[in-house]
Formats: sequence, structure tokens, C-alpha cells
Amino acid sequence: MNPESRKRALRYLFQKVIDPLGYKFSPDEELVDFLLEQEVKLEQKHGITYCPCQGITKKREDNMKIVCPCIPFHRKHYDAMKRCWCGLYVHKDVTNPDELRQIPFDEIKRG
Amino acid sequence: MFFEAARLEEIVPGGLKAVEAGGKEIVLCNYEGKIFALNRRCGHTNAPLDMGTLEGYILTCPMHHVQFDITTGEALSVPVPRDPGNEVIPERILKHFQYIAMLMSHIRICEIRSYPVKIDGDSIKVDVEEDSSCV
Repeated sequence: MNPESRKRALRYLFQKVIDPLGYKFSPDEELVDFLLEQEVKLEQKHGITYCPCQGITKKREDNMKIVCPCIPFHRKHYDAMKRCWCGLYVHKDVTNPDELRQIPFDEIKRG
Repeated sequence: MFFEAARLEEIVPGGLKAVEAGGKEIVLCNYEGKIFALNRRCGHTNAPLDMGTLEGYILTCPMHHVQFDITTGEALSVPVPRDPGNEVIPERILKHFQYIAMLMSHIRICEIRSYPVKIDGDSIKVDVEEDSSCV
């Protein structure tokens, strides 16, 4: 299996999911390529494109919430950050992803 | 040699159709109006691909969800593991599933053969004798 072909396919399939949610791939192409490569490796190991930045547990229910693109399961959190946890996806209006940072959800909830 | 396989109006964009041409089982795929012809059988466990789904240029097998590039026949993914759900499975059946999973782990995913297609009027013709780049 060619990882480059798989990366291209994941990009194609994920684009259709994230677009109606108001997100796009990060303009940081190097980051996108790196993260997709990690997802391809995770998929080869587990059969599922888990988020490369979140830990897999023994609880399937929790694991299903970190299958990329996991935006629908963490909508409030990611909308507040204008990016997903990895930074693979950003809000459509974001032009400089370097200005965005990871904010723990507890911090967001506290306001 | 080109064999008549189907008529254009029989496959809408995004659609799949199983046909037989020149004694070979073929699945025809309509990707944005362009027709592609592939071996009908999945390169993983031989499932009929016409019963799968076509998303753009990516064809997904209905059995274990292995994906293929219809433009080349290239295998794009590994099988998706079975969802155990929350059901408590009796040990005897669980052992059977584990045995099947062990067997399946030895299956190599092959690329699927793609065939040249020619549109002649409203007729789709497939050259089943000439091999293309895959397999």
C-alpha cells in the first residue's frame, strides 16, 4: 500500500466531511502532510484513522470520538480554539494557523 | 478486443454496475461522467464490489471496507476491524471470530485489475483482454 496514495485519499474523503462543518485543512502544508502520515500509520495498525494527537484507550466508545475528523464530537471545544486538537483542521476564516494554540477544554469551560 | 458492456444511461454519476464482458465479471463505475471498468471482485476477499459504495474516485468494498482507486485499481486501505459493539458474545462464538480474524490477518490485499473503456455513441465498451498497469 502506497502511503502517498492513502494520504491523498484521506484528504479527499475528509474534505467532504469538514467543509460543511465550517473547517478546512490547515494552510500549513508541512503539518498537514505530517499528521496525515501519522494517521496512515495508525490506520495500518488499527484499521481506523485515529487522531494522532490523542491517546487510544481500552474503551471503544471513547476511541470512536477520536476518529479523524473528530470535529463533531468536540465541536464546542474546537470552535473556541478555531482549530482541531492537532491543528490539522482550522476554521475557514483562519489564514495564520500559528496564531492559534491548544486550549484545554476545562479552561474554555471556565471562560 | 472491446466487448459491449452496458449503455451509458444505465449508470448515473457516482453509480456502479456489475456486468459480464468477454466472460469476465466487471464493475463499471461512473466518476463524474467518466466510466471506469474494474474486476468486479475485491482484491481482499473477493466480495462483489458493485455492492459497495463509490465516493468520488474511491470505491469501498461492502465486506471489510477496503478501498480502491478506480482510476488505477490500486488498493488504498486496510480492512476495517469488526465492530464488537456492546453485545456479550458467547465464548464458543468469540473463539470462532478470533479464528477467522487470525486467518484474515494472513490475507494480502491485491490491487484490482482495471480495463480500458471506450464510449461508442451511448454504448460502453470494455477491452477485457488487454491488461492495464495494475496487478
